[in-house]
Amino acid sequence: MSAYTPKERLLAVVHKQPVDKPPCICPGGMMNMVFQEIMEKSNYLWPEAHVDPEKMAGLAYALNEAGGFENYGVPFCMTVEAEAMGAKVNMGNLLSEPHVVESPLASSTRVDLLQPLDINSGRVKVVIEAIKLLKAKNTGVPIIGNLTGPVSIAGTLVDMSVLLKEYLKSPAQAEKLMEFIVANLIAFGQAQIEAGADAICISEPSGTGEILGPQRFRAFSVRYVNNVLDALEVPVKIVHICGALKSVYEIIQEFHCDVFSFDSIVPVQVIKQYIPDIIVMGNISTHALGTMSPDKVTSLVKSAMSKGADIIAPACGLSTTTPLINVQTMVAATKEKTTVN
Amino acid sequence: MKSKEELLKELSDCVVEMKDNLVGGVAKEYIEAGYPALDGITEGLVDGMQRTADLYEQEEYFIPELLICSDAMYNGLDVLRPHLEKTESREKHKVVIGVVEGDTHDIGKNLVRIMLEAAGYEMHDLGRDVALRSFVDKAKEIKADVIAMSTLMSTTMPGMSQVIEMLIAEGLRDKVKVIVGGAPISPTFAQKIGADGYSATAVEAVKLVNRLMGVESEKIGA
Repeated sequence: MSAYTPKERLLAVVHKQPVDKPPCICPGGMMNMVFQEIMEKSNYLWPEAHVDPEKMAGLAYALNEAGGFENYGVPFCMTVEAEAMGAKVNMGNLLSEPHVVESPLASSTRVDLLQPLDINSGRVKVVIEAIKLLKAKNTGVPIIGNLTGPVSIAGTLVDMSVLLKEYLKSPAQAEKLMEFIVANLIAFGQAQIEAGADAICISEPSGTGEILGPQRFRAFSVRYVNNVLDALEVPVKIVHICGALKSVYEIIQEFHCDVFSFDSIVPVQVIKQYIPDIIVMGNISTHALGTMSPDKVTSLVKSAMSKGADIIAPACGLSTTTPLINVQTMVAATKEKTTVN
Repeated sequence: MKSKEELLKELSDCVVEMKDNLVGGVAKEYIEAGYPALDGITEGLVDGMQRTADLYEQEEYFIPELLICSDAMYNGLDVLRPHLEKTESREKHKVVIGVVEGDTHDIGKNLVRIMLEAAGYEMHDLGRDVALRSFVDKAKEIKADVIAMSTLMSTTMPGMSQVIEMLIAEGLRDKVKVIVGGAPISPTFAQKIGADGYSATAVEAVKLVNRLMGVESEKIGA
């Protein structure tokens, strides 16, 4: 028997205390943790599980019960906040996740047209209720609540191309939109924490150094992610940035997070040099987890551990066609030298 | 009056320096001075876009810059194109491009469209969240040489393979080249689904399509 519950282990790693093995988690949100096989096994299916708290909680719970990740992570997409502020969302189907199909704003200057996120209605409420249900199970498994990064939300409220041009041409006006988003993210984050989230993960798929360049990465991504993080009181704060980080390695340490997560193209041993004070989480190829053999998954996990990953996680969530055996194998591989059934 | 070379340089600089509001005026001045529209495009605007692409590859410019530079190029093209002689618009290779169904992230796709357009390809942009069937129908309708598909979400990747299957089922697979791209896509994935090529960036995409079309020069030209 392990001396740690998964939650204790995650907290210990974040406090830089020695542990028996690295936690193996998948935060949820943009880094979706569920897939077809577990949906069918549990009979909690997409798209219903995006809009029903019992199904959302049930699906996250079922994955852990089946020998999957050592956490619960909700929601399973990155559209909850944008929808609550006025974007139109297509809920997808069993295999494809919800996505924004209509941005409410033609320009970032029209913040006045947005509606404030209401924590008592819609899918925002679904997520909060799901967290409460998971909390009530009192299982020792950490609950990770998720927020979509401010730049990524802005890029769905306004067409992303328009937003990027406005960042360059009229940054002062774009800032008003960013401040509106930050205030609403703080409200959503606080509600998730009150409901029982043990950790908050902010993912920025669009606010990356690759897309913005280093100056705007600092001026928009880092600044507004930090504004949200600073306002949240929670023991574990995770930040995930997509894509290559070459142009922004030096800037990553400016995030006010405990844990940093990154894409599979970023070498663990390289990023570690730039963020000695931050816990490093990642970065098992999402593609490999979806398509390759369990043997290959084991060797990827061993390799990430040997390179110094403190927490083992998929590099960028999971594809819905990922086989359960690969997730089970991934978790099992982090239990060094114990026999795998 | 300004010389042709001066005005070509100004057109090119307008693109590189993101002067999307001024480029139209320069293009007008160029035409009114009686210089040929084709040179204005190839040696002015497209030259500017090529320099922009270089700055992007050197990480001096990033995507916001690239987008405004391309706006400047298009604004200039709007003025110069109507003045092209009929014979100057040679038969172009046709490319159908879009983001596959289920995904709406289209920045990468837009950049590929812009760079291929600057390279002289006739672009048919289906937009984002494109029904898989539409790629095949459009390619058939316009007799496309290339289908270019992109996605940023791993959940929508299987759609690319379905488009290729549809092409095979309709006996069109050998008539059109298929290229794929987007963050979760890899060369291995492209190979696995039977695509003809993969490119990681918009600039690479031009080289890839040139290679597939047997266009020798890598230099961008209208």
